[in-house]
Amino acid sequence: MKYVDEFRDAELGRAVAGEILSLVEPGRHYKLMEVCGGHTHSIYKYGIDDLLPANVELVHGPGCPVCVIPMGRVDDGIAVAHRDGVIFTCFGDMMRVPGSNGSLLDAKAAGADIRMVYSPLDALRIAKQNPDREVVFFAIGFETTAPSTALTLKRARAERLQNFSVMCSHVTIVPPLRALLESPDLRLDGFIGPGHVSTVVGARPFEFIPADYGRPVVIAGFEPLDILQAIAMILRQLAEDRCEVENQYRRVVPYEGNLRALEVMAEVFELRPHFEWRGLGFISHSGLKLSEAYGDLDAEARFSVPGVRVADPKACQCGEVLKGVIKPWECKVFGTACTPERPIGTCMVSSEGACAAYYNFGRFARERQVV
Amino acid sequence: MTVLRTDLVRGLALCADEDGTRSTVETALVEPVDPGDRLLVHAGTALTRLEPAR
Repeated sequence: MKYVDEFRDAELGRAVAGEILSLVEPGRHYKLMEVCGGHTHSIYKYGIDDLLPANVELVHGPGCPVCVIPMGRVDDGIAVAHRDGVIFTCFGDMMRVPGSNGSLLDAKAAGADIRMVYSPLDALRIAKQNPDREVVFFAIGFETTAPSTALTLKRARAERLQNFSVMCSHVTIVPPLRALLESPDLRLDGFIGPGHVSTVVGARPFEFIPADYGRPVVIAGFEPLDILQAIAMILRQLAEDRCEVENQYRRVVPYEGNLRALEVMAEVFELRPHFEWRGLGFISHSGLKLSEAYGDLDAEARFSVPGVRVADPKACQCGEVLKGVIKPWECKVFGTACTPERPIGTCMVSSEGACAAYYNFGRFARERQVV
Repeated sequence: MTVLRTDLVRGLALCADEDGTRSTVETALVEPVDPGDRLLVHAGTALTRLEPAR
């Protein structure tokens, strides 16, 4: 299959792994962050970690959309879902994220009308089929998903649908990266940039990382060879004392992004002054809400959500995992009290979460030989 | 996903993934699209067009 087979070629993979080995400086430790949860999933699924020299460490970043949603936000969603006459819609992963008193799936079992959708368009269709009910879409995700919500809101407006609204929890990728770069407890040498977010925003938003922080960024695809090549490109930049944004994923990511998507997002959304991230706390201008022009379709205004801030369970160390301070298996409850079947923290919920990815694919092969 | 049929009036396309599963896709961000085009689709919206299949 085009774009798949050639990027899973074992022989080429071994060749790139050899190139990586030739680029590392003995005695130097390299800490590279893969920003996107999709990369985390691929890294464990294909055992990419095992192809790297021991002094190249991959740190899992905050780019899993479900993982960064704080518990209070889940509670807000459940409160809206329990309202009379409401059909609450969300992506499947989101249904399993624990709030302070259960998940949306638990709320569904308790009688709330909560439905899983694959896209906001599905939620809009449900609204058209149920004109006597209020249909709310719980919008999560980074700039990859936000255009879909924006276009759906434009459709709702054009079709004059009165019974559809959006509870907007979209976030943007640049502010948490800046927060991580400012974090004193994390020293990173380079970033594997997010592939699909960059399809929308392009490469330009990441230019501050080499310019302000002197760290290379390589935007990468999601197949094993994509990730290996991106790691080699970062190491080559470091070896040659270069520092810039490079695009390994050119077959999909244009440098300028998708201008139409950026335009529609600018029309429908505006930045919140602050948004709470799981594990990272409040980050300025990192979350999106509906713009004034679309304010009447904002579920938070329509239903006045509680907006309570809830602390994570004490045993849960998702925050440290999301910041890359600890590895998934170093969390006290990893694989015991917290599993994909019964997650305590968000990182164990989504297949893009570092804990779930590691639990499913990597937990039996931790030991590596030091090169 | 591969475009099977387009609805130019509504800005939608019927697409099929590699397994043949069909779904309706919003195409406003990549228009114009034609049957046979390959699209990168996320959450029901096409974000970019890929090169034609070999």
